[in-house]
Amino acid sequence: MGDQDFIARLESYLAGRLPAERPLRVIDLDRSTEGFSQETFTFDVETATGTRRGFVLKREPLAGLLEPYDLEPEFRVLHALSDDPLPSPPTPWFERDPTVLERSFYVMARLPGDVPVPAPRADGSPPVDDGDRPGLGADVVAALAHLHGIDWRSLGLDFLGVPAAGRDTATRELARWERRIDASGLAVDPPLAEALCWLRRNLPETDETTLVHGDFRLGNFLVVRDGGAARLSGLLDWEMVHLGDPLEDVAWCISPLWRGGTPYAGALLPPEEFVEAWESASGRTADPRRLEFYGVLTIVKMIAIMLTGLRAFRDGRTTDLRMAIFDQQLPFLNLMLGMTRGWLG
Amino acid sequence: MQLGVDILLDGVMRTLREAVLPAVQGRLARAQLFAVLDVLQNLRDRVESKAALDDAEAESAVHALTQVIAAIGPITGAALAEGLEAAPEAPPAARAAALRALLVRAFDVVDALPDAAAAPARAALATHLAGQAMRDVAVLKPSLLQEISKG
Repeated sequence: MGDQDFIARLESYLAGRLPAERPLRVIDLDRSTEGFSQETFTFDVETATGTRRGFVLKREPLAGLLEPYDLEPEFRVLHALSDDPLPSPPTPWFERDPTVLERSFYVMARLPGDVPVPAPRADGSPPVDDGDRPGLGADVVAALAHLHGIDWRSLGLDFLGVPAAGRDTATRELARWERRIDASGLAVDPPLAEALCWLRRNLPETDETTLVHGDFRLGNFLVVRDGGAARLSGLLDWEMVHLGDPLEDVAWCISPLWRGGTPYAGALLPPEEFVEAWESASGRTADPRRLEFYGVLTIVKMIAIMLTGLRAFRDGRTTDLRMAIFDQQLPFLNLMLGMTRGWLG
Repeated sequence: MQLGVDILLDGVMRTLREAVLPAVQGRLARAQLFAVLDVLQNLRDRVESKAALDDAEAESAVHALTQVIAAIGPITGAALAEGLEAAPEAPPAARAAALRALLVRAFDVVDALPDAAAAPARAALATHLAGQAMRDVAVLKPSLLQEISKG
């Protein structure tokens, strides 16, 4: 489907959802390069009176890092959170009918801001300026604590699957990612095997079940300038949302994976400070044993995601060469596993 | 590395042909791109991964596995000893891959033992992992991830 055909179909679809704003035009359609998983399109809708509104469309990819894809669960979560103070994008529409845009998709409001990438800038400076770190860090911690305090039952989000108390939460998560590793059909490297053995031996218990974003990290934070200060304006990429242990999000966010060449969790705060601030904001305790488990699982998850992308590339199911660079990233993840697990001093 | 050189080059050519070429308008740029494809398709069957890297990995793996078998005893370690014997001597990439798979099995074997009995074997495996992780990273170039993300 060419761009013009895509735009025409999208205009027709949106005209049905925004009847009061007809006739409308889709303008400035652009495909984002930031995401490595779902296809992300940004566009504006312009009405006959000249008003413009920004939207983002997420479409199921032909192949990707989290295949097989089902966009409906994350849509249902985002839709349910649309009126919550949490800065998740209001998300009004989901479409599964392939005659519309060939694959299922959902549409959400485009929030203001830019996304700092978790890597040093071209000039070598960190992704977040020192002066912005404390304020933005506080925003991020507050948002995470708020997310973990959301009453998911009252929002009807138990369809995500409710783990039982005890080891079930950790068991489910480990099994989920082991299934992904198996599904890739690629060889398990010894560092990954070591980590999996350790995780199986050290499944922690918990009776805390919260909404877990699953990919809460620098790179999924929208940031705006507000009177000179950097503020969090949006939380993006909810593909891995589920119910689980809130420490899974904490461990993911403070992981060395997302420090952008700095010593700081999310290039924002010292990791210990981040954890303490989250404890204070959430009223929860960061049990070190659970945090360690999810710290190791974080890297295992990333390896599983990369193996999935590599398999899609190897099979020729994607022309996205970005999938191939994971082959060069895996040794760095093995290094991180070594440091996290302690077999590399 | 999970992808062989031939698979990587096939993928690069596929991306250039299907995703990049249609977006390139200038005649000179298109000519250069076709020339790149021509070079790559002829390069594909003339290159292979460096044998020295596979040899170093295999040597370290054999050392670690030998220590593991010594630590856990010949009965518990019988399957690992058979695997060592059965690992192909050549080509180097196949030998390294077979020994890598045997190391993965070794973790499972050791994991079934009580902690005290497993400790010396785990230490031998950890020494290999550390050395191999450093060898793997040593040959990599700085990533262009920032530029790739921004497009």
